[in-house]
Order: sequence, then C-alpha cells, then structure tokens
Amino acid sequence: MANHTISVTVNGGKEYLDVPSNMTLLHMLREKLALTGTKNGCMAGECGACTILMNGEPVNSCLVLAVEADGAEIVTVEGLAHDDQLSPLQQTFGEHNAVQCGFCTPGVLISAHALLKRNPDPTEEEVREALVGNLCRCTGYLRFIQAVQPVAEETRFFRKNRVSRPQFTSDPVGKSLPRVDTYDKITGAAIFADDIQFGPNLYYARLARSPHAHALIKHIDTSKALEVPGVKAVVTGKDAPELVGMYLIDRPVLAGERVRYFGEPVAGVIATSEGIAEEAARLIEVEYEELPAVFGPMEALQPDAPLLHPDLGEYKVANFIFPEPGTNISEHFKLRKGDVESAWPRCDAIVEGTFYLPQIQHVPLEPHVSVALWEKSGQVTLWTSTQSPHAQRDLIAQSLDIPHGNLRVVSPYVGGGFGGKAGVTMEACALVLARAVKGHPVKLRLTREEEFVGTTMRQSLVAHTKIGCDAGGNLLAMETEYYFGGGAYNDYGVNIARAAGYSCTGPYDIPNVKGDSRSVYTNLPIGGPMRGFGMPEIHWGIEQIMDQLAEKIGVDPAEFRRRNCVKTDDTILTGMKMPAIDLVACINKVTEAINWGEDRRGTARPRPSASAPHKKRGKGIAIMWKAPAMPPNPGSSAVVRFNEDATVYVEIGAQELGQGSFTVAAQMAAQALGVPYEWVRVSAPIDTRYSPYEWQTVASRITWSMGNAVKAAAEDARRQILEIVADHWGEDTNDLDIKDGKVVSYKSEREQPLQNMVIYGLPNENFEGWKGGPIVGRGMFMPTYVTNLDFETGQGPRAVVHYTVGAQAVDLEVDTETGQIEILKIASAYDVGKAINPDLVLAQIEGGAVHGMSSAFEALRFDEKGRPLNRSLVDYRIVTAVDAPQEIHGDIVETPLEDGPWGARGVGEHVMVPTAPAIANAINDALDIRFNDLPLSAEKIFLALEEREGESADTGDLFIAPVGQRRQSGC
Amino acid sequence: MHMPSPGLTEFDYVKPASLAEASRLLAEHTGEARPPLPFMGGTDIFVRMRDGFIRPRFVVDVKHLPGMRDILYDEQAGLTVGAAATMNQVARHPDVQAHYPLLAEAANSVASYQLRNRATLGGNLCNGSPAADTGPAVLVLQGRIALYGQGGEREVEAGEFFLGPGETAIQMGELMTSIRFPTPPANAAGRYLKLGRNKVGDLAIAGVAVFGFPDGAAPFDRLRASSSGYRFRIGLASVAPVPLRALEAEELLAANSPGEETFALAAEKALEAATPIDDVRASAAYRKAMVRNLTLRGLRDIWGRLRET
Repeated sequence: MANHTISVTVNGGKEYLDVPSNMTLLHMLREKLALTGTKNGCMAGECGACTILMNGEPVNSCLVLAVEADGAEIVTVEGLAHDDQLSPLQQTFGEHNAVQCGFCTPGVLISAHALLKRNPDPTEEEVREALVGNLCRCTGYLRFIQAVQPVAEETRFFRKNRVSRPQFTSDPVGKSLPRVDTYDKITGAAIFADDIQFGPNLYYARLARSPHAHALIKHIDTSKALEVPGVKAVVTGKDAPELVGMYLIDRPVLAGERVRYFGEPVAGVIATSEGIAEEAARLIEVEYEELPAVFGPMEALQPDAPLLHPDLGEYKVANFIFPEPGTNISEHFKLRKGDVESAWPRCDAIVEGTFYLPQIQHVPLEPHVSVALWEKSGQVTLWTSTQSPHAQRDLIAQSLDIPHGNLRVVSPYVGGGFGGKAGVTMEACALVLARAVKGHPVKLRLTREEEFVGTTMRQSLVAHTKIGCDAGGNLLAMETEYYFGGGAYNDYGVNIARAAGYSCTGPYDIPNVKGDSRSVYTNLPIGGPMRGFGMPEIHWGIEQIMDQLAEKIGVDPAEFRRRNCVKTDDTILTGMKMPAIDLVACINKVTEAINWGEDRRGTARPRPSASAPHKKRGKGIAIMWKAPAMPPNPGSSAVVRFNEDATVYVEIGAQELGQGSFTVAAQMAAQALGVPYEWVRVSAPIDTRYSPYEWQTVASRITWSMGNAVKAAAEDARRQILEIVADHWGEDTNDLDIKDGKVVSYKSEREQPLQNMVIYGLPNENFEGWKGGPIVGRGMFMPTYVTNLDFETGQGPRAVVHYTVGAQAVDLEVDTETGQIEILKIASAYDVGKAINPDLVLAQIEGGAVHGMSSAFEALRFDEKGRPLNRSLVDYRIVTAVDAPQEIHGDIVETPLEDGPWGARGVGEHVMVPTAPAIANAINDALDIRFNDLPLSAEKIFLALEEREGESADTGDLFIAPVGQRRQSGC
Repeated sequence: MHMPSPGLTEFDYVKPASLAEASRLLAEHTGEARPPLPFMGGTDIFVRMRDGFIRPRFVVDVKHLPGMRDILYDEQAGLTVGAAATMNQVARHPDVQAHYPLLAEAANSVASYQLRNRATLGGNLCNGSPAADTGPAVLVLQGRIALYGQGGEREVEAGEFFLGPGETAIQMGELMTSIRFPTPPANAAGRYLKLGRNKVGDLAIAGVAVFGFPDGAAPFDRLRASSSGYRFRIGLASVAPVPLRALEAEELLAANSPGEETFALAAEKALEAATPIDDVRASAAYRKAMVRNLTLRGLRDIWGRLRET
C-alpha cells in the first residue's frame, strides 16, 4: 500500500506528513498530530464527533482520506481559540452549561461555528438542522441552541453583551456556577481514554466474536492468525478461564466451552496495529456445535427451554441474590405485603395488562476503550473509560487474582456512561490480552457497531401487572410479575430485578401487594445497568395502568396520583418508613407548567388545537420513584489538601461522566471550608493509586454519598485550621469561622488569611517556634443502616437508603397520516433535597427528559437466530437536535434529605424514568389508543390508527379521521 | 454475520489526471478479485468498505477531474451538474434554487450538513440504492446521466439508469461524469416528502417527489395532451428495488380534473406502484400506506401552489 506525502495547514500551522492511502483524516489528526480533540465516535459519518473544518466547511473527518487533505486548510476544536482568547461560541457554551461529558462538544462547536459563518443570524430551526449531524446523549440539545443564539444576537446588534466569569464566589452551594471542566471540554484539551499517548510501544487488540447465539466451542485454530506479520499473540478462553462479575460471577472474560450470544468474544489478537489485529482476528477458525437458543424471558422459563448456565449453582453470588439452579432464573425477588386475595373483591375498578420493553443501548458518544499494561514485575495498569474505577479494580483483582495494590485503574474523562460503563464490561478482556505480551500496553477499542453487540444493554422486560382501587380512587391491591430478559450473562442485571422487586409498586402507597421479579437468562447481548436501573421498565406499565384506573372511576389522572402517591413517613411496601420527600409538590409543578386540566379530554373546557387538521394533540403525566440500588454498604471517601496560596485540591474517586460531579465536589468543598469556589481544583484523572476510595459512579449516589465524604473532609481540614488559629490567638474555636479564605474571629474581629498558614503554619509570638503545618482533611461516608430483606416476603426495616421522586408531563402532537410524534413540551419536577448547583440540576432534567423520550422510540432488533439487525447508528436511531422537544420546563423541589449533604440527593437517572409512560399517556389522550409495547414507532402508531379506522369507518378513506368520533377506552 | 472493521481496509489511492486515464484504470483492472472503485465523496463506500462488502485494490479519486464539480445552467440547454458536485453545492446553487428547487430540496434532505459537504449527487445515484433521496427528483425532472467509458461518453435516461438494488446502467470501466436536466416547464412546482425515523437526517422509509406544471408548459412529455390542463409527475424512493415513477398515477392525474377525488385515486395508484420490502426501517405495509399519504400530501401542496400562479 502506497504512502503519500502531503502538506496540510492545520489550525494555521503547516504540516508535512507521510500518510498511508487508507488513513482517514480523523486518524491523521489524532495519531499523526495528537490533536485528540477530534473524536472517533462511529466511523460512519453518523455521530458527528469527528467534525472538523476543511477549507472552511464542516466535514466528518472519519469519511475523508488524509491524502485528500493535501493542500487543504484544516481547523479542529483546538484551533477555535486564538491567543488563549476563547471564541464567542466557546464562551457561551461554557456560560450556558451546554457541555456535559464533552465528547460531542468539539464536533458541535465546529458545526455551530460553520453555521454562524454561513448564516450569522440563524433561526432556531436552522440551528437545530445545522446540528442534526452531531449526536449528543447528555444535554438534550436545547442548551446548544441557547448557546448559539446570544452569539448570533451579538452579530445582529454589533455588540458584545456577555459578561466575564466571576472570579470570586463565596458560599457556592446552591448557586448556578459554571462547571469546573468546561474549559478543557470546549478547547479539545480534555483527555479521554482513547486520547492518552503511549508511543510506539503500544500494541492493539481486536477480538474474534461468535457468529452464533448459542453453541459449544469444539475447536479453535489460531495458526493462520499467528502467521500474520505484526501479530504478537493470540489469546483464547483456554488462556483466560476466569469468570468476572458484580453480584453473580457468571461471565467468562473470553468464552470457554460455550458461547451464549452472538458477538461473544472467543479469542483476541494482539498486533502492532489495529488493522493487522483485525485482519488476523478474521483468520481465527472456530469449530462450533450449534445449540438451540432462546431469546425471550417467557420462552426461557419453559421446561423444555435450553439451559444457558448448567453451572448456575456453582457461581459465586452476593448474599442478597437468589438464583434458581437448574433453571434460567438468575434472580427471584418476592414481595408480600397484606393480602391481595382478600382485597380484590373490595376493588371497584381493576386494570390488568401485559407490558413489554425491548433491549435498548446506552449509546454514549464515546465507545468503550481500554489500554492494559501487565508489567513483568506483576504491576498491572488499566487506563479505561469507566464509571467504576474502584469497583472495577476490586472485581478484576478478585477474578484475575491480582493483589489490589498491584492493580491500578486510571480513568480520565468519560464520554458518557448511563450505566453502560459501570462494573466490568470489556476491561477484563484487555487485561487478559495484555497478560500475553507483558511489558507492552495493549489498546482494545470497541467500534460503534461492537457497542451494540459486545457491551451491556438495558434488559428487556415482560410485566404482567394488575392494580385495583375503590370507588373513591384509593388504591387497594397490586399483583405484579416482572420477567427481565437478562441476556447471556446477568452478573450485574440480577440486582436490577431485585431493585424492581423491592420498588415494584412505583411511587404509590398500596396496602396489599404481591410482587415477583425475576431475571432470566436469554441468548441475547448481556443485560446490564442503564440510567434508571429497572425503574423506567416497571414504570412503563404502572403509570399507564394508573391512568386507566383514574379514567375508570372518573378522577383526573393527576388528582388520582396526588391522592395515592407515596408521602413522607408512609410505611412503604418493604416495611420501611419513607424518608422526607414531596411528590405532590412535583405533581403540582408539572401540571401548572403544562396547563393541565384546562384542555384535557373529558374536561369541559376546549382543547388546545393541533397545528394542522391531520394532527391530534394530547397531554400526559407520569410520576416516579427510584432508590439507589446497590449493596448495603457502598462507601465514599475524600481528601482535601491545601496549596501554599490556599487553593485547594479535592481528591475524590467519583467519576465525571458529564453529570457534573467534579463541579459539585468543588462547590461543596469550598462551602464547607469557607473558601471561594474558584480556589478549588478537583484532582483528576481518577486513579486508584492516588484517588481515595469510591465504590462507583452509579445509582445517582454521588452527590449524596461522595458529597458527604467531601463535606466531612473539608470540615476536618477546617477544624484543623481553626484549632491552629484559635491556639495562636488564644481564642475559642467556637468564636472563629472561615469566610472567603480568611479565618475571622467574631469575638476579637481579627483576621488571618489562609495563604501560607495552611502549609507553613503560624509562628508563635516572639517567633519562638511554630504551630500547625500542611493541612490535609479526610472524610468518609458509608450508609450503615440498610438491612437485608426477608427472602419470602421482601420485608425488612430498611430496604434502601432513600428515594428520589418526581413527575413528568408531556404535551405532544401525533400526525395521523404518518404516525409521527412531535413532542411540544416536557415539564419536569424532581425533589432533589437541595440543589447544590440548580443549573446543573436543570441540565440533568433536560438531558434525562430527552434521553427518556428517545428511549420510547428505541429498540434493538434481532433476527430469528439472535443476530442484531440494527447494530449501527445508521439503523439504531437516537433523538437528534431536530427531534428534541420545542421546550423543556424544569422545576426543582427541595425537601431536605436527612443524611444528604446540605440535604441533597441525586437526580442523574430519575428524569429518564417516567418520560416514556408520560408520552404513552399523552398519546392515549390524543388518540384514545393504548400502547403496551415499546418502541412507539411511527409505524406502530399509524397501523393502530389504521386498524381502528378499519373497525369504525365505513369508507376506505383511511387518512381522514372522523372528527370527534372516539372509541371508548378499552379497559 | 460480519462485524465491521475499525478502519478502512488497505487500498492504494490513485488520482488520475484525466477522464481517459480514470476510465483506463477502471477498465484495466475490471474482473480482478479486488476491482478498483471510482471515488467521489466516500460517504457510502467507506462505510461499505468497513462492512466488508467491497474491498477495492485501488480507490480512484475522480472528483478533481474537469467538470466533475461544475454546476452550469443555460436557459436553452438546461442544467448540468457534475457528478462530484456535493449535495450542499447543489442545494445552495442559485440556478438550482431558482429553476430546480425540487432538486435542491431532495439534495438537502440527505443526512446532515457536514455529510452533505462530502456526499455527491453522482454518488447518491451511482450507488444504486433504492433509498437514494435524489432519485425521485432526478426521475421527475427527466435527468439524463452522462457516463464516460473507453468508448467515449454516452447518456442514459434516469428512468433506465436504475436496474436493481446496487445495480445501475454503469458498465465496467465507466464512470459517471454529470447529470443533465432539461429546462423545466414554466410555472412548475415540486416537492420532495421524505419520511424517516427521525424528523430529518435518516435514510428514507419512503420518499415521494411530486412535480406539477400547467399543460403545454413542457415542450415534450411522455403523455399526450391531458384533459386536466395540468401534468403531474411522481417519483418514489425506498419503496421498490429501484427509485421509480408512479406512471399510472401520473396518467390518472392527466386524465382527470385536479381535486381531492382525483388526488385520492392517484395516491392509491402510487401505492400500487410501490413494491416495498419489510426491513429494519419499516414494514412493507407501512411503506405502501406512506406512499399513498405522502403522495396525497404532495399533490395537495403542489396543486395549491399551481393554482396560485
């Protein structure tokens, strides 16, 4: 293959490069020039993370050859700022917190710059369309539009109307401050795992994957692969017999005797380049004996279903997980409260339904990537994109028998996780490959297509749910069976079924409950955690049934929820007393924001008109609860240490995934210490060698748990400082305080700046000796009060640490000629206890609402052999800037949490939970049709309309719906 | 089932100096295990290369050759669009916007802005995809495809260009050089309605181009004088093995006076012209219904605009 010498101008500088024919411009920028701000997200021109300017116009650099750039002028995100002066768009992206994980940000900024260059004053629609090729999973897109508009306005009015950032913020908790990671992320300086430079010593790995959903491996022939020049080693399951996992250790790192899903890794090749490794991996010959496969959880429960894990009884398992060996059931949680059988006859309305949700994928913009180095000394290092540096270290150390002290996990910024990078996914694979070439770092990077095959997916669910209430609208009984399709391995998923079990009623106070929640092995991709952890799945059915019950007894659905929703001090289904929350306030906020009741079907007032005769408008509401689902005792720790100038390092083990954990850590440390926000730096990247312990960044637990640890560490440092100064001044620490970086005495009104004294201490009077020294504060937090639950009844004093609750309302239009849905507005209100940074709470609300909306339209699809049909962004579509709602209205409710820092609890996952059922309820409001199965594709909605018209209309004219004619709700 | 490779497979990049050299390169190696591939925007072939569907030994970059990126308009001769003109070039060209807005609309419906800076009109057609968004517009605007090969240049009518999924009239050693359009009829109106899983940016589940003009405005047409006083042409994408015209619907519209009743019947005829398959994007049943509904929507819209002029 020929190489070409090219000359190219990159960010104003001339470069002369030697590039192979098949090198893309993306790879040239990242690998030849180390301009890693340009991201590799899909290699198919779909995600836009690689967007750069070529001769002034944006292009997907993954689809341009490097050789084509000969003579061209290239601008990357690193070239947007001039002489350290950020471009106006970079500034407004920062000011609007239009940045979360930062992986899509460079491409979005490039597209936005190009838009303003060709159209200095774009409409909102033009901004959305210009960004349609830049996918984002975190922000919900609306902040991009808000960040572009002020720059356009400046152009319009020839003025600069922006203010500079504050440099000195006192008492930062509760203030909407800019993120601490913005600058890195808008300039391309933020380092993600794939951006770390390792030099020529680096090897690359690729995996050979199973073409069968269920088969025995009879023989693997690696000889042809080993003959390929550049191949260093080939590893198979025989070389890596270890199992890995979180709650149920059931997953081989590389398949051993059996493959259980299409795409399961069976061997890995290590070579000097990714291309060689790929070429060689395709030459590995595997002889399989196909076995019958099973894809649905209900089918997998049949007595004649193939058994996926004959060794289920041998696996190590957490003491609160109950697999049923000899079956495909990996967990069965039972909840028994009151007596449902005696309650049914007392019900005046009963609604029963079967609901189905397919597997869906997280689609973080950054695919999974790990670099592993196994040194001959036995020291092992893993650089990886993970939510779980410490949990991963623990699980891998146990599985691969490495002393914890010898295994170091380094995790820089994470380009979106949403649960998909929690626990251990492909990282152990990188390690067993690196074990074969000791001394060389080995990079294993999944393609976007492999993300849909070889990582974890949200589990599918079949839910049979029956709920009843009396004529007064009081809920009396609920009986539910949840069957999660856990996929081939259920090491993490078992706890999702458990969480769904102990929260099986949703946020309702129901006196009689019988719930069974199971996870079931199937021959599909691995089911694992995803934003909401079982709650989006169970609320999909519950929240539709609540609407139907309300309709049956003639009560407004919002009022029905107010009446029945869980309230402070209620004894909830597990017997636990509900910590303080205010769900009714959340319901009131969203109904107000969406003009609930003035125009809904069944009310006297006129309905709001749809925007066209062929459209129908509707509104829906749904509420939710979710507890952090985790072992009883996950811990957090933090260290706060000072520098000479009184700037502060906060050391934490919590990961920044885009949600803003670094920012709230800095705010809380500054608040508790009494120093300005701007003085605090978060020590990153997270590195288990240096960062204090944090279980993992999951379950919306970080603001609460890490926050408590940071607060404790800061208070510890503060106490040390006050003791030194009190001693120095001869005063009582109770009379002293730290304000704006100075120790002040309320008694003597003396002041002592923190500068220098926090390192060098203070000289005694007459300079006879010194007091104090370098200040280091330490803090930890671990919930100590959670109890196990009774195996037969699910009852126990304290099932979980707490719940976050909230409400969602949706206003939408359905195009009856196509079935397409347009979301006009989403109103959200969540009780976060205390908003440490209100704007970041709203950012989570917006992102979660759009993620939840997207999830209503997403589904992984498989053929009859269990092979994925839509394993790319071409065919697995997520919501874009154009699809995002016209408006998202967020409200924050603050009922302090007893053991939360400043009363705070988490809100990372929750907005995802009720969005899909709120959409379904709004569709029912518009069309009077219920959809029990996701996804809500336009096709499904259209065909349902067509079917109904076929039943009721007497003409063949299917697209003109009879006005005012509505079928009675069918329950 | 094959998983795509992380990068592009190995090939040699060749940049010929003339059309003749390009054609010779393509012809000489035709029939080899890894035949060479003409390359313009790459938005489709690079993805297919990663998918393992194609594995060319040479990638022959033809977009720099003379005329390949030119867009020329002449009142007599009509419009000539170089095969390698990008979708954005086509969509924002003043002559295209003024005289062939339907073509601009179709070009603008493809994927995203940054992708349209690379994707070319010629590439969209010569991939032979049933879902080619510009296919219906090129059909109803009576485009002719200019192909250059060892025997010199020849022209193929758009209606004879698409032969099947991935199959076109391009023969071994040939490359597409331009797409030519006759001067459009006076007072014509056109619209491309595309339905995808996203509002914009997706591949089409169904795409319908509707083009209408007052009778007598076109100097030549396939149909004889109409009794309606108006002519309509309807092009369909993503609902048959190839982009195609709904000819029976067009004939019905020429024979009947425009209006709701005629449009409903014509939309039904368009539905009958569609022979879609079930795939991951949608079912055949839905696609057929969408052909009908989008055709009806397009006819109503175009009729409204025709009546205004």
